[in-house]
Amino acid sequence: MTELFSNLGLGLSFVMGVVPILTITLGVAMGIVAGATPGLSPSMGVALLVPFTYAMSPTLALILLVAIYIAANYGGSITAVTINAPGTPSSVVTAFDGYPLTKKGKPGLALGVSLVSSTVGGIIGTLILIFFSGPLARFALKFHPAEYFALAIFGLTTVASLGGKNWIKAFIAAMFGLLLNTIGIDPISGVSRFTFGLSFLYDGFALIPALIGLFALSEIFKQLEGGDFSIQAAASGKQEWPTASAYWKLKTTILRSSFMGTIIGIFPGAGATIAAFISYDVAKKTSKHPEEFGKGSLEGVAAAEGANSSSVGGALIPLLTLGIPGSASTAVLIGALMIHDLTPGPQLFISHPEIIYGLLASLLFANIILLILGFFGSRLWIKVTTIPKTVLFPLIFAVSIIGSFAVRNSFFDVAACLAFGVFGWFLRRYNYPVAPIILGMVLGNIAETNFIRAIMMEGWTVFFTRPLSLGMLIVAAASFAVPLIQARKQKS
Amino acid sequence: MKQVVNDARVKNTLRVLGLIILILAFFLLVPSAKAAFPEKPIKIVVYAGPGGLIDISARKFSGIAAKYTDVNFIVENKPGAGGIVALKKVVQAPANGYNLYACTKSNIAKFVQVGGGEYVDALSWVAMLMADPECIITNGKMDIHTWPDVLENARQNPGEQNWVGPAAGGLDHVTALKIWDKYGIEAKWIPFKSGGKALAALLGEQGIAYVGNPRDALGNPDLFIAAVSAPQRLEAFPDAPTFTELGMDDLENEYMWRGFALKKGTPPEIIEWYDDLFKKVTADPEWISFWAKGGIDVTYVPEAQFSGLVAEDAKVFEYYLKKSDILPSQAEGILANLAGGTPFVILLIILVILWLSASYGIYRSVYAALLGRFMMIGIFLIISILFLVQSINFPSSSAVGPAAVPRLWIAMLIPLNLLLLVKTFRRKDGVSESGPRVDIVLSFIGFLIGYLFLMQVFGYFLSTFAFIIVSLYYLGYRNWRNTIIISLTWILFSYVVFYKTLYVPLPLGLLFENMF
Repeated sequence: MTELFSNLGLGLSFVMGVVPILTITLGVAMGIVAGATPGLSPSMGVALLVPFTYAMSPTLALILLVAIYIAANYGGSITAVTINAPGTPSSVVTAFDGYPLTKKGKPGLALGVSLVSSTVGGIIGTLILIFFSGPLARFALKFHPAEYFALAIFGLTTVASLGGKNWIKAFIAAMFGLLLNTIGIDPISGVSRFTFGLSFLYDGFALIPALIGLFALSEIFKQLEGGDFSIQAAASGKQEWPTASAYWKLKTTILRSSFMGTIIGIFPGAGATIAAFISYDVAKKTSKHPEEFGKGSLEGVAAAEGANSSSVGGALIPLLTLGIPGSASTAVLIGALMIHDLTPGPQLFISHPEIIYGLLASLLFANIILLILGFFGSRLWIKVTTIPKTVLFPLIFAVSIIGSFAVRNSFFDVAACLAFGVFGWFLRRYNYPVAPIILGMVLGNIAETNFIRAIMMEGWTVFFTRPLSLGMLIVAAASFAVPLIQARKQKS
Repeated sequence: MKQVVNDARVKNTLRVLGLIILILAFFLLVPSAKAAFPEKPIKIVVYAGPGGLIDISARKFSGIAAKYTDVNFIVENKPGAGGIVALKKVVQAPANGYNLYACTKSNIAKFVQVGGGEYVDALSWVAMLMADPECIITNGKMDIHTWPDVLENARQNPGEQNWVGPAAGGLDHVTALKIWDKYGIEAKWIPFKSGGKALAALLGEQGIAYVGNPRDALGNPDLFIAAVSAPQRLEAFPDAPTFTELGMDDLENEYMWRGFALKKGTPPEIIEWYDDLFKKVTADPEWISFWAKGGIDVTYVPEAQFSGLVAEDAKVFEYYLKKSDILPSQAEGILANLAGGTPFVILLIILVILWLSASYGIYRSVYAALLGRFMMIGIFLIISILFLVQSINFPSSSAVGPAAVPRLWIAMLIPLNLLLLVKTFRRKDGVSESGPRVDIVLSFIGFLIGYLFLMQVFGYFLSTFAFIIVSLYYLGYRNWRNTIIISLTWILFSYVVFYKTLYVPLPLGLLFENMF
């Protein structure tokens, strides 16, 4: 333990220079912008900057990349709250309650809570990474494909409580998302599925255009249909920010979601998104005011943001301890390490402790700088909500078009975004929730490949013979059934 | 007083506007297509996720190339289907040298499997840059980790061992098939999304052996190299025995190559430019020493020989993939015919007619107020049926085939929709479904479609300018000065951030492209 602290001291002393602090600040600023822009994801932001880090020292390069990664996870929530256009898939959950708050004229509350929960979550994730990465990594290795499948199913069952009395429609949406996800080349066998011979479907539908269409565009269509576009948005003049006691009330939610986020973040793939959905679900089920969820609950915002930001710490655990990437962004970090002739893995702790601990110390620091930049920044981007809708709507259309084009530089994605927008408008009219489609598209691949892998390895029974997988499936079944039974009880 | 301020503002605005227009005009009018290659960043398209060796090769290459050229190389990961997704990306782009395909021997296996010779011929195999021996890696923490032990275990439990590695049908898989064949053993190949994830499964004791390259075992002391396919022991891994030492002569030269390919039809002068760069990079001491640590041979094989090598590899792969039944078999019969071509279109038409007539029936019934809801259910059902019919045509394989999981989702989608249908029929209340201004939404959908078409002709910048002005006006915004400022600012922003900084190739439009 003393060695750990002396190493951390070493790391901190490295970070305490002018250059590292400036690097972190720059990284955080760029990350916020990348996260907030629909069409730019954290992993794209990190990947774009990798070439710029060649000339830097390995530690500095990693610090920059990690700062971007952390800040981008927060940045996604800004557009989720202000214009209902989640910048990243994991901030979809933030939009559930963040955007209703904006509609009520209280975007300040949502932005404040999302910033503080993000930073607290980020710091808790980092602390868990520092102190428990060893045992957690060993635990993660035992995770069998059957358990990945069970986790994906668990993530899907959150749809039951998301949908409330519309649970059938919520499940239809989720299954539709899963089915959409099977379009393209099958990752296991390489067969092309449902492409109808169209080559632009080989890669399937990209997530971001679907996200922009289903959330941002369909929301505008709905508001246009309501005819209330000429009214100036409610939030002008004095803004309401959360008070210290409001934050204090959220402490359990933030802490719980941060722990859950870190643990779920360890598992490669869609860690941050699954974490946000599950944590939101748990927050809703344990809340004293579950009826406020989806209508502007601060607990909901805190649960989502705490979980998706803390998942960064979790995703770094397998990277640092085993050299195995936990998410797309950390995979890019591995590349950055290798470029600098460092082989990630347990031996890096021994051969280059200054890099590992410099990285860990800078993670803590990046979160603090994120809090500061976010604090001043919030005063700036809250102004988005004071733009008259007549001006805001055309601009959101413009952002959506360019954002969906930028994902793969393809017009197909722009057309898909528009189609998803119109489809989402119909779904909203008939009370289908749109978020389950995104959840299905995120989870589809994990669920399918691990389902097949597990069966190939040990046959059909494996899901029920492994205790962890069975346990998770039982929890999933309960989390599916409980809200339905409750809904039935309330009815009668 | 207020008037004065306003005048000053107007003047300032006009100045800013003038400046913006000048800058835009400058960039738009400077002809760009005629400059020498390369005049913009080059994309290295990597067929695997970041972190794997091919990704590192591409990134290291771009780092070293920076010493010899000013052009920026951007690594773009296009994982999926063992390289087919990345191949499509390169082949769909023009043959102008800006999309460099980072290829490995594994691609050939996949190309043969999916597209036959056609895919191999779609590329010019420009250069092979390294040769990396194949090896078997095991988990040193498990009892069975030496090659003789693995072999004995395989003989005791035929067909039970789990071997982990990247995509099915790739080089590592085929190497495993070859090894099993030579030793006369049987095992299962469990494919993972990347080598890294397969290694995690090995470390988690979910598999007994991993097939890859020696470098994969670096950095983690638990990973044990059980056997290397090389004529003699590698300098970088002196403890790893060769197959020859272990008593098998036929497995001494299985290696993975990595290199670069371009779309076929790329002009020779561009290939020459690359040849020159490849020569410089492969002679670079940093490049050589970086790979030597992983036991990787740095070579430079130019197009003439490389193409021959690729053709030979393709033949070997075809032999092994056929022999082990991996080349998929197609479904046959009346149902299979339904999934493709004219019968499928007829089915589609029948379903749409049914949907429309059912909708009309509902419209004339007491359920008229719920029409939209019924139509939505119909749409989901039609999609489910169409997808189900399509899935008949997917090839079946011994384990769980590619049709299984989509059918699972459909098997839940159809009952859920039927349940919803029943529930909707039970509803008594008709709710008003539409807001007062559906017309605005429809006009905007029209605007957006028109905007996308205009973009093809007039380019992104002009059509966006027009789109923002028209939509602002349509929504009742009448401050012309602000309207112009807003749309110009957006255009400038998108130009600087997306076009110039992020290299998003926003279309300039047929009009401009033909002009210069």
